[in-house]
Amino acid sequence: MAIDIQKVDGIVSGYEQSKESLLLILQDFQREFSYVPEEGIKRLSDIFGVPESRIYAMATFYKALSLVPKGRHTIKVCTGTACHLKGAPFVVEAIERRLKIKPGQTTKDRRFSLETVNCVGTCALAPVVVIDEDYYGGSTSENIIKNLKRYT
Amino acid sequence: MEHTKISTIEGLNKYREKILESEKNELPTVFVCGGTPCLAKGSRQVFEAFKKEFGAQGLSGSVELGIKTTGCQGFCNQGPLVTFADKDIVYMGVKPEHVPEITEKTVKKGEVIASLGYRDPQTKEWATEYSRIPFYGHQKKLVLKDVGQLDPARIDDYIAGGGYSALVKAFGMSPDAIIDNIEQSGLRGRGGGGFPTGRKWRSCKAIKTDVRYVICNGDEGDPGAFMDRSIMEGNPHAIIEGMIIGAYAVGSNKGYAYIRDEYPLAIENMKTAIEDARGLGLLGKDILGSNFDFDIKISRGGGAFVCGESSALMRSIGGNVGEPRAKYIRSVEKGLYDKPTVLNNVETWANVPLIITGGVQGYRKVGTKGSPGTKVFSLAGKVVNTGLVEVPMGITLRELVFDIGGGIPKGKKFKAVQTGGPSGGCIPESLLDLQIDFDSLSDAGSMMGSGGIIVMDEETCMVDLAKYFITFLVGESCGKCTPCREGLRRMLDILTGITEGRGKQGDIELLEELCDCLKWGALCALGTSAANPVLSTIRYFRDEYEAHIKEKRCPAGVCKELITYRIDEEKCTGCTVCAKKCPQKCISGEKKRPHTIDASKCIKCGVCRAVCPFDAVIVE
Amino acid sequence: MEKIKFVIDGKEVEAIKDRCVLDVARENGIYIPNLCYNPEVKSSGGSCRLCLVEAHQAGRMRLVTACNYPIREGLEIKTDTSLVKRIRKGIIELLLARVPDSDVIRELAANDGIDEPRFVKDEGENYHNKCIACGLCMQVCEEVVGVSAIAMLNRGPDKIPGTPYKKPSEVCIGCGACAYVCPTDAIPMEDNRDTRKIWGREFKMHLCSVCGKPYMPEAQIDWIVKTTGKDRVFFDKCPDCR
Repeated sequence: MAIDIQKVDGIVSGYEQSKESLLLILQDFQREFSYVPEEGIKRLSDIFGVPESRIYAMATFYKALSLVPKGRHTIKVCTGTACHLKGAPFVVEAIERRLKIKPGQTTKDRRFSLETVNCVGTCALAPVVVIDEDYYGGSTSENIIKNLKRYT
Repeated sequence: MEHTKISTIEGLNKYREKILESEKNELPTVFVCGGTPCLAKGSRQVFEAFKKEFGAQGLSGSVELGIKTTGCQGFCNQGPLVTFADKDIVYMGVKPEHVPEITEKTVKKGEVIASLGYRDPQTKEWATEYSRIPFYGHQKKLVLKDVGQLDPARIDDYIAGGGYSALVKAFGMSPDAIIDNIEQSGLRGRGGGGFPTGRKWRSCKAIKTDVRYVICNGDEGDPGAFMDRSIMEGNPHAIIEGMIIGAYAVGSNKGYAYIRDEYPLAIENMKTAIEDARGLGLLGKDILGSNFDFDIKISRGGGAFVCGESSALMRSIGGNVGEPRAKYIRSVEKGLYDKPTVLNNVETWANVPLIITGGVQGYRKVGTKGSPGTKVFSLAGKVVNTGLVEVPMGITLRELVFDIGGGIPKGKKFKAVQTGGPSGGCIPESLLDLQIDFDSLSDAGSMMGSGGIIVMDEETCMVDLAKYFITFLVGESCGKCTPCREGLRRMLDILTGITEGRGKQGDIELLEELCDCLKWGALCALGTSAANPVLSTIRYFRDEYEAHIKEKRCPAGVCKELITYRIDEEKCTGCTVCAKKCPQKCISGEKKRPHTIDASKCIKCGVCRAVCPFDAVIVE
Repeated sequence: MEKIKFVIDGKEVEAIKDRCVLDVARENGIYIPNLCYNPEVKSSGGSCRLCLVEAHQAGRMRLVTACNYPIREGLEIKTDTSLVKRIRKGIIELLLARVPDSDVIRELAANDGIDEPRFVKDEGENYHNKCIACGLCMQVCEEVVGVSAIAMLNRGPDKIPGTPYKKPSEVCIGCGACAYVCPTDAIPMEDNRDTRKIWGREFKMHLCSVCGKPYMPEAQIDWIVKTTGKDRVFFDKCPDCR
C-alpha cells in the first residue's frame, strides 16, 4: 500500500518541532493510515532529526500504535476488572469463534480488527465492547454477534 | 468561543457578576448527564429531545442555557440521568419519550414525576430527592460538587458558580502561605501513593533552579477506575485552577496535563477548558495582573499502564518509550528533563481550590485525622448500584458496598472487594468494617489506590482473579528489570497451571518467593506492588488455592478445566434454545424432554447458561 | 565536589557526594556482582538488579541497586546480608531460566548453588540467545557512539534490542561497541578476512597500511571523520603501527 507522503508531511507540519510532539504525530498517523507506516517513521526521523530506531521503538512500545494496518472497524473488548468478572472472556471467545481471529489480529478481508483494552472507564455498563466509537454495554456472547452485523 | 482577556482581579469579579446578571432571568437549567456511560445509553438523544421540546413549547429563555449536558452525575447503571439546577430531583432511565412530560410537569410547574425516580428494591417505594436515594444520600460531594451541575465546555458556568475565586484568594497569599495551607490541610496524593501533597510542594520549591514543572497525572490506568475520567470530563476547570495555584506556590511557569489515550472525551474537554482559560487570560502571561506567567500543555498517553508511574510518565512526555527510572533522587529534585517537578493526580489537583477557599479547618472537618477530606471512588463489579461516588475518608467498606452500593445482586453472597487495582489487594468479609483511609487499607495488605472498588461475589474465583491481574501486569510491564519482566511471567505460568488443574504441592510457596523477589527487587511501583493481588488472595483465600491444587476443584465454578456444565433435568423444559445456540452442537434432546450436554465436546463457552430461560444449566 | 562519609559493610569510607555505591565499593575492595552497568555509559544500570544491596537511611531500610544509588550523608550499606543473598539468588535463577545458554549466567548460578532453575527454561520460540535485555547495547550506541542504530523494542518479556523492522541499519557504523559492552556476549559479530557482519549488515574493513590487519570498518572511519573533522590519513595505520 503506497503512502501519500503529502499526508505525512501535512500531519508533521501541524505540530511544534519538538520531541514532545512525537507520540502525538504517531497517533495521528495511526488514525490517518490505520497504522504507523515505515515511510512515516523515516520522514519524521528526517524532519525532526531524531533517530529512526527511537521512533520505531515507540511504535513497538505503545499499544495505541500498530505497525501493521488495522481493519476498517476496530472491536475493542474491555477486559477491565469489572468487565472480566461480568463475563468479558465469554464475549471475546464468541467473537473469536465468529471472526476466526484472536485479539491483536485482523480478519483476512480487513473488515475487523479485534483488541482487548484495559478499561474504557464505563464499568457500570460491564461488560463493554467499543466498536469504532460506539459503546455497547451489557455485552453478551449473543448480542455482540448481532451488533457486529452493523459494520460492513 | 470568543473571549477577551481579563487583566485584573477586579475584572474577573465584574465578569462573574455580568454572567449572573445576564442569566438571572433564565429558566432554571435542566442538566442531562453527558458522561460516557449515559451517552452510551442514549443521553444525547434525550438532550436533543429537550432542545426540541423547549423550542416547540415556546418557553422563555435561551435553549442554550436552559438545557445543558454535564459531566458524570454518578449513578451510572441508572442512566440516562437528568437533574435540575434548582430542584432536589434526580430522574433516572430517562428516554426521549419522557421529555414532553418532564417539560410540562417539572420544568413548567415544578411537579415531581415519582415513577422516573429511584425505586427501592425492598420497599418498592419511589424517591426522587438526593437525600432519600441511598446511593446519593450517603455521599459527600465536595470535589464532585459541580460535576453534573455545569456544562464542562462552558467556562462561564464554572466562573458563575464561584470558579477561579480560589485563584484570586491565592494571589493574595504568599507562595509559602499557600504551601502551609496545603500542608496543614493534610491533603494526601489521591492517585494512590497517599504522599502528603504539601510536603511534596515544599521540597520542590526548596530546590534552586531556573526551570520547574507541574504535571497532572491523568493516566488513570487501573482497570475499573474512572474517577479521574469523570473529573477531567465533568469539571476540567477545577483541575486547571488547582494547577495554577500549585504552580504559583512552587514557582513553575510550565505545566503538562498527561491524559491517557483511551479517554478521548476527557482530552477534548480539557483542551477546550485550557483554550477558554487562555482566552480569558487565566492562563498565559501576567495572569489577572499578578505578574505570574503559567500555561498548560496537553500530552497524550499511548496505551501503556506503566506510564501512570511518574518517572515513566515524564519519559513519555519527552517523546520516549515509557520506562521508569530509579527514584533514588525524587522527581521533586530531578523530574521532567531532570528539572524539579511536582506531579500530582487529577483528584489531588481538584482538591486544591477547595482547601484555599474553605480553609484548613473547613477541609479537616471531613475525613479522618490521618486522611482528611473525601475520596472519589468508582464502584463496580458484582454490586447493585454501580457508578461514581464521593465519600468522606473513614467511611466503612460495609457502608460503601451495602448502603451506597445496594449490596450484591441476584441474592448472591459477598466475597471480597478489590481496592487499588493491580497494585492492590482484596479485602474479605471479615474486614468489611474497616474504615477506608490510606493507612488502614495498607495495613490490611491492600492499598487505597486511585479509587477503583471492585465488588466480588461467591461466583468469583480468587485464583482466577490473581491470574487476571498478573496477566494484565505481564502485558503492561515495561520489561526493563529482571524481577518484573521474568518474575511476572513465571508467576503467570504457575497460576495458569493451578487454574488448569496442573497445580502441584509447592506452587503457593514458589509464588510467595517470586512475590518476595518483586517486592524487594523491582525497579518501580508496578513491579513492587505486583505482589499484592497474589499475596492478598493467598492470605485470605488460601483454601481456594488448595482446592485447585489438591482436589483439582474450583469452588467458585469458574476455572474451565475444573468444571463441568450440566443440565438440571428438573428445571429443563426441553425448549431446545440452548441446543440451537450451542457453538459445539453438543447439546442433545427431544423437544419438551430434558436435554443433556456432551461433556467431552463442551468448551464451557457459557452460551447455554446465558440463554436458558429456566436457569437450568448448572456449573459444578 | 562535596565529600561525604558513609558506612559500607561496617567500614567507614569517604567519597564524593552522589557517586554511586558500586564504584566506590569497588575502589574500597568490596565487590558487588553486576552486569548491566558500565561506568563509561552514564545512562546504564538499574536493569539486571544483580547489584541490589541493603541501604539504611533516615530510619528506613530498602534494597537498592548499587550501580545508581547516590552516596549521601547518613547512609549505611550492607552488601552481604541474608536478605540480599536471598533476593540476588532469586534474580539469578530467573536469569538462568531465561538464558540457560549463557556461560556468564551459568557461572553466577553455580556460585550461588543453583543447579537447575525451578522454571521452564526458555527454548525454541522463547530463545533469547544469551540476551538479558539489559539495554547496555542501545545505551552505548546512543550515548557514546551517538548513532542510535539500535533501540530496545517492545515491552515486557518481548523486550529485545534491534534495528527498525529487523532490517540492516543504514546508520550503523559497524564499530561493534554494542558487542564489546554486552555483559553476556549476546550480540553476534562475525569478523572475516576483510569484512565484518553485525546486525544483518556487512561492513568492509579498512586494512592497516603497515601490517595489513583489518582493524576498523570504513563506515566507522567515515563517521569519525565526519563528526570530528580528523584527517582520514590518521586512520591509515592501525593503533599498534601508529
